[in-house]
Amino acid sequence: MVLEATEMTLNTTELLAIPLLPLLGALTAGLFGWFLKERLSHIITSGSVILAAILSVHVFLQVLDGAEFYGNFWTWIASGDLVVQIGMMIDPLTTIMMMTVTVVSACVHIYTIGYMHGDPGYARFFSYISAFTFSMLVLVMGNSFFTLFFGWEAVGLFSYLLIGFWFKRDSANKAAMKAFIVNRVGDFGFAIGILAVWYYFGTVDYREVFAQVQGLVASGSTMSFLGWEMDTITFICLALFVGAMGKSGQVPLHVWLPDSMEGPTPISALIHAATMVTAGVFMVARLSPMFEYSEVALAAVVIVGAITAFMCATIGLVQNDIKRVIAYSTCSQLGYMFVACGVSAYSAGIFHLMTHAYFKALLFLAAGSVIHAVMSNQDIRKMGQLRKYMPITYITMLLAGLALAGIPPFAGYYSKDLIIEATYARGMGWTSEIAYYALMSGVFMTAFYTFRMFFLTFHNSDRVPAATKSHLHESPWVITLPLVILAVGAVVAGYWGYHYMNMADEVIVDGYFRNSIFVMDAHNSIAMLEMLEEDHTQSHFWLEYGAFVLAVLGILTATLMYFKETKVPAAIAKTFRPIHTFLYNKWYWDELYDFLFVRPIQKLGQFFWQTGDLRLIDKGMIHGGIIGTVKNGAAMLKNIQSGMVYHYAYAMVIGVFGLLTYLMLNA
Amino acid sequence: MAEVVFPFPFPENLELILPEIILAVMGMVVLLMSVFLSVSRQNIVAGVSIATVIAVGASVLYVSGSDASTTFYGYFVLDPFAVYAKLLIAIATVFAMMLSLNYVKDEANVGEYYTIMLFASLGMMLMVSATNFVTMYLGLELMALSVYVLVGYQRDVLRSTEAALKYFILGALSSCMLLYGLTFLYGSTGSFIFTEMGDIISNSGEDQRLAVLTGMLFVLAGLSFKVSVAPFHMWTPDAYEGAPTPITAFMSVAPKVAGLVVFMRILVDVFPGLQAEYTTILMFLAVLSMAVGNIAAIAQRNIKRMLAYSTIGHIGFILLGLIAGSNDGYAGILIYMTIYLFMTMGVFAIIIMMRRDEIQGELLDDFAGLSRVRPGYALAMGLLMFSMAGIPFLGGFWAKYAVFIAVIEADHIILATLGVLFSAIGAFYYIRIVKYMYFDEERVSFNFAKSAPLQVIVVLTTLVIVAIGIYPEPVMAMCRLALAGLV
Repeated sequence: MVLEATEMTLNTTELLAIPLLPLLGALTAGLFGWFLKERLSHIITSGSVILAAILSVHVFLQVLDGAEFYGNFWTWIASGDLVVQIGMMIDPLTTIMMMTVTVVSACVHIYTIGYMHGDPGYARFFSYISAFTFSMLVLVMGNSFFTLFFGWEAVGLFSYLLIGFWFKRDSANKAAMKAFIVNRVGDFGFAIGILAVWYYFGTVDYREVFAQVQGLVASGSTMSFLGWEMDTITFICLALFVGAMGKSGQVPLHVWLPDSMEGPTPISALIHAATMVTAGVFMVARLSPMFEYSEVALAAVVIVGAITAFMCATIGLVQNDIKRVIAYSTCSQLGYMFVACGVSAYSAGIFHLMTHAYFKALLFLAAGSVIHAVMSNQDIRKMGQLRKYMPITYITMLLAGLALAGIPPFAGYYSKDLIIEATYARGMGWTSEIAYYALMSGVFMTAFYTFRMFFLTFHNSDRVPAATKSHLHESPWVITLPLVILAVGAVVAGYWGYHYMNMADEVIVDGYFRNSIFVMDAHNSIAMLEMLEEDHTQSHFWLEYGAFVLAVLGILTATLMYFKETKVPAAIAKTFRPIHTFLYNKWYWDELYDFLFVRPIQKLGQFFWQTGDLRLIDKGMIHGGIIGTVKNGAAMLKNIQSGMVYHYAYAMVIGVFGLLTYLMLNA
Repeated sequence: MAEVVFPFPFPENLELILPEIILAVMGMVVLLMSVFLSVSRQNIVAGVSIATVIAVGASVLYVSGSDASTTFYGYFVLDPFAVYAKLLIAIATVFAMMLSLNYVKDEANVGEYYTIMLFASLGMMLMVSATNFVTMYLGLELMALSVYVLVGYQRDVLRSTEAALKYFILGALSSCMLLYGLTFLYGSTGSFIFTEMGDIISNSGEDQRLAVLTGMLFVLAGLSFKVSVAPFHMWTPDAYEGAPTPITAFMSVAPKVAGLVVFMRILVDVFPGLQAEYTTILMFLAVLSMAVGNIAAIAQRNIKRMLAYSTIGHIGFILLGLIAGSNDGYAGILIYMTIYLFMTMGVFAIIIMMRRDEIQGELLDDFAGLSRVRPGYALAMGLLMFSMAGIPFLGGFWAKYAVFIAVIEADHIILATLGVLFSAIGAFYYIRIVKYMYFDEERVSFNFAKSAPLQVIVVLTTLVIVAIGIYPEPVMAMCRLALAGLV
């Protein structure tokens, strides 16, 4: 069945089981949920995902020992030149993603048992998140642009379905549509990128494409796009990156991500923090053999990432919805990952992706636990002093907050620091310099908004409305258990990855990632960083400890302002009213889009509907033209079909003689 | 004792006609069985017939090799192409017999019914294996005569006998045309063997040209009648409506497979030198069939008549594959026929199930509100209708995709555009049934015939259509493989 495979192969049955188990669970819960009821639905789906997680860890350990797999399983369609095959590419980059996805997904499955209990769509919800897990695994495990695209669109679909899960809520429907439509914009670029790959390389298989990249660049191939002449490889990478911007919530396509918080909280943790939104980062790292050959594309990745990291952090400073604060933080952190990829520190980007998955999922789940306790209120102004009621949530969220802020020895410190240092060392000119300062200021803001939210929720003054007071309680174990599991990840993932896995090693071959990531020597920022640090002629204090100092400063500022109830925040907001309003309204992106796109398109739609559809097509053509003709034709043919044999025979004879006449005249 | 001396050497590879021998022998056995069995035990006859056809299918596989082999001095060929067509015919016959189980139970002369079906499939199997016009015509007439009788099987039903008579008269006319055309061809080439004729025609001079062209036109006209190509289609709606419904299902698939196989063989082997000419003729026939089939179907209220026009429309699409004249085109025809077989059988199974005491369950209105009473069957019918309309990802989509892509690659863009347009018009009357089932109020109370074979067919065909829709490659690969024998 397997057409080709590499030296040390993995068990194909095991590999196939990893994505197919969640799919099976999803189908069972989805089709027979009405029959299985809550208990069986969650046992089947969670069980299959937990099994997939165990298998993923097993595969991870084998890959760590040097095993790899590359092969095709099925030919899906073969039509002329177009051969679409379904296969897998399993290497260190894939396995780290597989493990992250399945472990976080398993935690979220367990959490959901408590969180969604009693919801009428219980089985449907489990079916969706299992199906999402399947799609995400296809996305990361595939060996071609085709499987990438399939997974890409499928995760988008389930993201849409889950954001709008409570479909009776108007706001949820709107958010779901917004997510879908904004992603369309990105996916359009993505699709163009893949078609360009197919056009120029004649294949969509990763290996075959990567093998041809150098030749294409050497041939100096250029193409003209909208009258703009550019390198082919640059065009392809930029188009693909547009897709990544959409999926990973990068400016200016970030607007859907904060709104996606309308979905149930487990979804925010799984899809909009840990896995799907990181697909863009994964894609850039996976396609490093292409991006490396385009300086322009790398610079674009850096710029977009830096702008997002900075802008979304500033917005996060003033938001009052607990989930929105975390959502903007997610955008911002994704910006960090893209900067890492842009400065060719892909390993650092993926490393941060992994640590971020754990602590950000934890933050969301803990926030969900809080929301659960205060009866679906998400406004941090109406919380406070919750630590007394929910100690486990309190401690786990503190750990996640420290990890996000980048305090050693928690996970975020290792990965984020590495990104910042690599950016500094890379020296791409003004792009990486701007990125460096954006990231540095981002560190301060990250620490500040995280602890602002944390203090307002768990410390400060007690502002919980009296009605909810009696309801306050710690969540049941199915909710707190995943918190604890993820907290372990948030604490140790960074140390473990940095010191044991060598995820940050300069030469990719020696490090964890081996050959799964390609970096040109001239771009190897992590090697540059080590050289810089070995140079003892100058002080590296600011390079090595700068981010840490800023993080501590950020936490201190937040403590001063929010640990106890003070008048400082209000005073600052009043003094800097314009800036505060600007940030509070999220830099007016939504209003801008509303003005630029939404309203003109609505007007255009109105025009097409009223004038085009109703007047022209319905009145003009249908009742007069096409349908009338077809109807008359049908009636005429019915009349010809008279039932008389001699009429029928006549038609045959006429047919023959008509054709004969034609032949004789033309022969 | 004098030794028995054959006038000819004994034919080699005689085992190749094992399937045909089984059919011929069992056809007679079944007839005798039904005479000796009591009326209440006539269903044994049906069982034996079905088992026979399954055995025939198995024996086709058993005697087939990967290459073409011939017997009867090269007059009979069994190549992968013929094997595939025979399998399709066998499947269609088994399905049609299963559909008949309840339908003809109460009628007398059950034995005749199944015997004639067996002989009809014998005729078709001879057709697809023919390498010359004599074998082909023999098979064709055996098939045609059997089907005439089957259409008029309900002797006391006026509609049925009228349909049979019309079909017979027009069929005789079409046979005349075919034979008339053959005389021209024989006169010009002096041969009946496809490939020999092909060589002579390709090398013949200008003086032969008119005779050959006339011959070709009449032969194509005669064959077009069998596969319901407009303007030789007029018998189709009447015959479909009058025939017992299982026979309608049978004749809308099996003879079409056989006819198209002969079509392909003749075009490839006999007329390779006249491709430009026959392509023009086929274009005219294809456009006319697509137009007549898809437009006239809209005006029908009777679902059997509607499906008759639908067949004409589908044949129009299939002709596109012939027009493409490439391997992809011919493979597209096989793919189309395969998928069409399953779709049609599934739809007819549902129609037969809807037959109630008084009502035939044949009017479109009878489907109103089906989704609320029988959601399962409504879903199956809906999927089959969407598939017929060519909605992705159902089997019917790939069928149309295969022929359209072939005709586009052959640079007949206008034809492909027309095809897509007509298939859009066609979508209207297919999806209209879905509308009846899901959006209209129930008009008459349903009393579904409970019949295990019918249920099996409905479930099986629907699953096959969905499966092919999701993963078409195995079927496509099979069809491409089958073509190895043709070109």
